[in-house]
Amino acid sequence: MAWFFHLALRQLFPPGKRFPAFAIVSILGVGLGVASLLVVQTVMNGFGEEHRLRIRESFGECVVVANRPISNVDELISSLNLEEEVLSISPYAEGPALTRRGSFSGVAFVRGIVPTDEEIPARGYVVAGDFNELDDGRVVLGIGLARDLRVKVGDKIDLWSPVMVDQAEKGKAPLPAELEVCAIVRTGFSEVDNRAAMISLRRFRELWSLGNKVHGVILRLDDPSQAPAIAARLNQGKPDLRFVPWQEIKKNFLEAIRFEKTMLFFLMFIITLVASFSIGSTLFSAVIRRSREVGVLVALGAKPWQLVGLFGLQGLWIGALGTSLGFVLTWTILSFRDSILGTINNLFGDGDMVASVYQFARVPLHYEPMDFLIAAVFTLLVTTLAGLVPALWAAGRKPSEAMRDV
Amino acid sequence: MSEIVLQAKGLKKSFKSPTGLLTVLRSIDLEVYAGESVSIRGSSGSGKTTLLQLLGGLDVPDSGEVKLKLSSRTMLSPHRCLGQGVGFVFQNYQLMPELNAWENVALAAQIAGQGESEKEAQALLALVGLSHRIHHMPTQLSGGECQRVAIARALINQPAVILADEPTGNLDEVTGKDVMNLLLEVVAQRNTALVLVTHSKEFAERTQRRFFLSSGVLTPA
Ligand SMILES: Nc1ncnc2c1ncn2[C@@H]1O[C@H](COP(=O)(O)OP(=O)(O)OP(=O)(O)O)[C@@H](O)[C@H]1O
Ligand SMILES: [Mg+2]
Repeated sequence: MAWFFHLALRQLFPPGKRFPAFAIVSILGVGLGVASLLVVQTVMNGFGEEHRLRIRESFGECVVVANRPISNVDELISSLNLEEEVLSISPYAEGPALTRRGSFSGVAFVRGIVPTDEEIPARGYVVAGDFNELDDGRVVLGIGLARDLRVKVGDKIDLWSPVMVDQAEKGKAPLPAELEVCAIVRTGFSEVDNRAAMISLRRFRELWSLGNKVHGVILRLDDPSQAPAIAARLNQGKPDLRFVPWQEIKKNFLEAIRFEKTMLFFLMFIITLVASFSIGSTLFSAVIRRSREVGVLVALGAKPWQLVGLFGLQGLWIGALGTSLGFVLTWTILSFRDSILGTINNLFGDGDMVASVYQFARVPLHYEPMDFLIAAVFTLLVTTLAGLVPALWAAGRKPSEAMRDV
Repeated sequence: MSEIVLQAKGLKKSFKSPTGLLTVLRSIDLEVYAGESVSIRGSSGSGKTTLLQLLGGLDVPDSGEVKLKLSSRTMLSPHRCLGQGVGFVFQNYQLMPELNAWENVALAAQIAGQGESEKEAQALLALVGLSHRIHHMPTQLSGGECQRVAIARALINQPAVILADEPTGNLDEVTGKDVMNLLLEVVAQRNTALVLVTHSKEFAERTQRRFFLSSGVLTPA
């Protein structure tokens, strides 16, 4: 083992000292910096992931639409069924309608769906009732629409489709469809919550006189993150159809999330940079404090690169231990996030923001290995440099001068 | 006459100071022979430390040159081969505070690239009378003991010459005498040359050749 390995270890953790203050404070500083960066990143990733999941589950992973109603839907479904990436397919039809209950009315964007299909958007966001009870005589409403109509599960609403208006124009006297509310959903996306009304596809075709046509199909994919590429590939040779991946459906929203993450990373990066500089100055003064010793080492024949090694190693070890501590701290803080958040809510009396604003059960997390890697590499780089720069300065001095230092 | 191990010719050294250029050494010629002891006295500020630093290669002269015998043939400028051929003993010991006595001695050998130095370090500490203190840290040693460690450290790479700058300057009279006795004894025993800077006339008397440094030149005393 090179001598400066041994000496670096001794200088960092002097024997006989139970509390190596310099090392502990530096390592703690690095650890806190790394932890604050990673906690923010991981929570932001968690929110991002949660939002992405919610988009997929509220709008579908990939929606196939056409310029006019699709008549050969069975053919389309069986051809898409051959594709490996497509896990399941659900046809749908949609159109606007007027809904009424008593003197309250609302505009609904009605979707006709196959009630048994699992991938129906918003299916996982039922706040009242039971989605599984949807049949030809029932309807699932978005929570905003349900409020507009002052209905709850079990109430009945009237629905007027455009076809009925046609009939009225032709002098017939159409009757509205009477539907019982069987479930209410809340996705957090206002365009769904305030407008959505879901009925069975069979009933929709009847009310809209659609025959056996549909307006599109919704796909579930084996790898939703690859939806744009899969959609583009599936779209080949089908010019009259358009495959829209979920990323495109809520493009602006996703971009906003990504921008938010970038901004936060930037801010946290500055904080970490400030922390790094304070570690740099601590190391710097440590080297200066030892300049007489550096002079002696040079007198004993130490080469400049060995001195750089001596102090660079100390920086590297502080960085490595600090980063490890930062990882442990991150994990600990995030594991106890519920109690931490609970305490904050109690202190400031804000109530549960996560539940009320975001509708998440708890603060979502998503550990991104890349974030951890970047944080580690960056920290090691900075702390090593913080040791190297003063070491270079010290090594460049004349030993005769260094040894006159008191 | 035995061979020359350290040779200085026409050394000149000046420093920039607030009052202009300060010439400390004007023209120094000195030859040190193998195994002999040389003392240099001079008033404070006369340039004794500066001279030793030039002789040991810790600084370079403005003009003139220093040559050091490294192996049987080569003479080299000492600042090109720091840690070899010359051993230093400083007034304030200059031990590494985080290393114990043994490690401090071995460190000099490790830096010089001498492997397997632990045995040798132990033997040298025994030679300076510290076999019972080898695991003590510098803070756990007395001044005299620290200087003994420093002497052991100066000896470990078998230098041709030891440069000692007031090695007893920080010690009381009795301890100083002990340390000086030890130093003179071990250099004689190991046939190592010694250049001793001291204020003490008594210690100077015990060296074989004596010089006085004043006005930047060395005169035999
Ligand atoms: N780096 C430097 N810059 C400017 N002046 C210096 C420097 N080093 C030494 N001097 C000056 O050179 C002179 C000689 O210094 P030196 O330390 O060699 O004296 P000395 O003979 O060892 O004195 P003492 O007996 O007190 O140790 C002093 O006047 C000092 O002020
Ligand atoms: Mg001096």
